[in-house]
Amino acid sequence: MAFETREEGAYTVVLVDESRLDASIAESFKVFLFDQIDSGKEKIVVDLSQVRFMDSSGLGSLVAGLKKTAGSGLFALASAQPAVKDLFDLTSMDKLFSLHDSVADAVQGD
Amino acid sequence: MPDSKQLLRLQIDSQLSNTTLVAMAVRGVCAMTTLSPVEINRLELCLVEIVNNAIEHAYGNEAGHPVEICIGLDKTSMNISVSDWGASIPSDVIDSQEPEEINPDHPEAWLCSGRGLHIVNKLMDDVSYETDEGKNSFIMSKALRY
Repeated sequence: MAFETREEGAYTVVLVDESRLDASIAESFKVFLFDQIDSGKEKIVVDLSQVRFMDSSGLGSLVAGLKKTAGSGLFALASAQPAVKDLFDLTSMDKLFSLHDSVADAVQGD
Repeated sequence: MPDSKQLLRLQIDSQLSNTTLVAMAVRGVCAMTTLSPVEINRLELCLVEIVNNAIEHAYGNEAGHPVEICIGLDKTSMNISVSDWGASIPSDVIDSQEPEEINPDHPEAWLCSGRGLHIVNKLMDDVSYETDEGKNSFIMSKALRY
């Protein structure tokens, strides 16, 4: 399965088990995220450690998840790889997202 | 088509899952150049964005149509064209301005799509778009150090 979840304390960690978060899977990833949020998950950390490449559609699916939780929950990202970090920098999306070096950092202190 | 001495021409069917094929091909060609790993990642990103656009917008996500990618290489630049025979990109989209600065306090204004062309315009050294007898070609180039 491309996307998996696990619980870490109060957080739901969503692992993207794909090397490419691109247009071919962005819509299914968005639906997966929305299903998590609609089922009551309020604190979500997306683990991007396996993702080596992301395009603007993949980024769009993350923005959609962030928008859906805005104001009522937490939506953070962890372990973004260099090319993925670069995309966040290029699009200034690093201003919008909480980017953490690891899942442990993202859930720390809760 | 890029005017280069070394030219690689590829064709894929209009399915988003096929963009990886051309992404890997362009990475292979990039390995022959002086481009840095960061520049190669960015070139791959630009290619994928334009191929995605052709599939999603020119062909409305319908499989069974050709997308042609030409990668030209010479001593000073790498030139890439992505062509389709579907709906052309409106000029106001090609010429659109950079998106407004993101305001973290206004989630309703956060865009979930429409960043692809801006990314390409930002990263490539030269970008153009032309339509000739039903063939739409997005042409972009990246200067090489030598």
